Amino acid sequence: MESPTSTASRPDFYDFLDRMRRPAAADLFRSIKSFLVSFSFHAPNAEEDGSKVQAFLAEMESAIRDHPLWANATDQEIDHALEGLEKYVITKLFDRTFGTSTEDAVTDMDISEKIGLLQQFVKPHHLDIPKVLHNEASWLLAVKELQKINSFKAPREKLLCIMNCCQVINNLLLNISMSNDRTLSGADEFLPILIYVTIKANPPQLHSNLKFIQLFRRETKLISEVEYYLTNLISAKMFIIDVSAHSLSMEESEFQKHMESARLATQVSVASPSSSQGLPTSARANQEETDMAGSRFPFMDSETESLTPGEVKQLHDLYKRVVTRYTLLSEALRKSSIDEDQLLNSVHDP
Amino acid sequence: MGCSSSVPARNTGGLNTISNDSSPDASSKDLRAKLVLLGDSGVGKSCIVLRFVRGQFDPTSKVTVGASFLSQTLALEDSTIVKFEIWDTAGQERYAALAPLYYRGAAAAIVVYDITSPESFSKAQYWVKELQKHGSPGIVMVLVGNKADLHDNRSVSSQDAQDYAEKNNMFFIETSAKTADNINQLFEEIAKRLPRPTAS
Repeated sequence: MESPTSTASRPDFYDFLDRMRRPAAADLFRSIKSFLVSFSFHAPNAEEDGSKVQAFLAEMESAIRDHPLWANATDQEIDHALEGLEKYVITKLFDRTFGTSTEDAVTDMDISEKIGLLQQFVKPHHLDIPKVLHNEASWLLAVKELQKINSFKAPREKLLCIMNCCQVINNLLLNISMSNDRTLSGADEFLPILIYVTIKANPPQLHSNLKFIQLFRRETKLISEVEYYLTNLISAKMFIIDVSAHSLSMEESEFQKHMESARLATQVSVASPSSSQGLPTSARANQEETDMAGSRFPFMDSETESLTPGEVKQLHDLYKRVVTRYTLLSEALRKSSIDEDQLLNSVHDP
Repeated sequence: MGCSSSVPARNTGGLNTISNDSSPDASSKDLRAKLVLLGDSGVGKSCIVLRFVRGQFDPTSKVTVGASFLSQTLALEDSTIVKFEIWDTAGQERYAALAPLYYRGAAAAIVVYDITSPESFSKAQYWVKELQKHGSPGIVMVLVGNKADLHDNRSVSSQDAQDYAEKNNMFFIETSAKTADNINQLFEEIAKRLPRPTAS
């Protein structure tokens, strides 16, 4: 399987920074600086920021190709420079572009909560995963790859986590087909396992990560195999959002019963709110606030029509607190993510 | 339901498959075509592709690990080079709603059924309707009756399928991923039907 970039040699971020510091690169560096500064005049808007970044990267591609510093450079060297540029620009813009809108934060939370419930009762057979493919050890490896996604800021590196996860699944399918003299299967078996792995992983900010990759990974790189596997994770997300009795081959009553007892179990386990959210222990910081046991999720069972204006106000306040808390959490997560040095050393292209 | 077989892949005349990817600066005669596979689970969608991509399927080959995405380059007699990027989809009913994510932007779609399964033929007709409604305009659609080697158990007649395909402006072919019958012809036919870049 291809990695998002050529495996021959990995892009060296330091080489890019080094070249940018040379006097000969002053013009390029100025363009980058003024591009980054231009963002301070506009309010953050992921879609608009995404098209600006895409246009800038395309523009810089020709600038780099024509630049004396890259005279006689191979296509691969140019590509590495562009990878460096993408990483530099997006790391600088990360705080304004990643998961910043309230809608995205709410979608992330909804998905994470839903996965938290599904984790408690969805079994491989609900998704058509045949017994012969059951391999908890491999699945755990795939889960761990997916959970690394927030350790990186650059879209290429986030994408690499997804590709690594898919590769673990593909390796499993290949090994099973070889050892059992079984036909190598395609999407009929790949997608169900990916969905199961996604449920097990409950990857942090799944929706925001997918959106971020789609908006900020260079368009010329989001093609072919990489696009296929990204699409698979997007469809895993869709499956989870729209999950129903029908999509799990259950009776409606059985599905509702499972969801209800999963909700109860989640409420009982308030002592460890982090586990169901797939967030590390830093989430505990806000624990005294969240530990209001029974009143933790008021109105969950209320009908919208039956709410009084007072309750709507109460809900609105609650909503504001949830969003603030979520923003703080995301911030904390981001801060705790590995610093640049470690990050570079830990990137291992398959 | 295996597609593995000891029968070597038949190499048909006038068609060469090239295993190496073409360079990014391809000439104007080169086409990159996204091709999506639709059909019930178990009809042998991925077998058809494995046959096409690898000829005799060699499980020890690690060139590409996944079987759900495969690419293969094909040189036509008019020296057009087509690089197929083949997207497999999960055929189970519960995943049907996700298919539009996969066929969006596809240049061609292969809708596969199993000639021994009338249910899979109805499912194929469902996919054809979906593609007509939501597929890219001008998408090349092909109806494929697979498992033609199991003709003793045939329950979908070639004539019925042919009539249906004609009515819906599709190319129809029966294949056997097991014996490799008509596999290359299938992809060659798709390549011929792909719209050529206007400026060449």
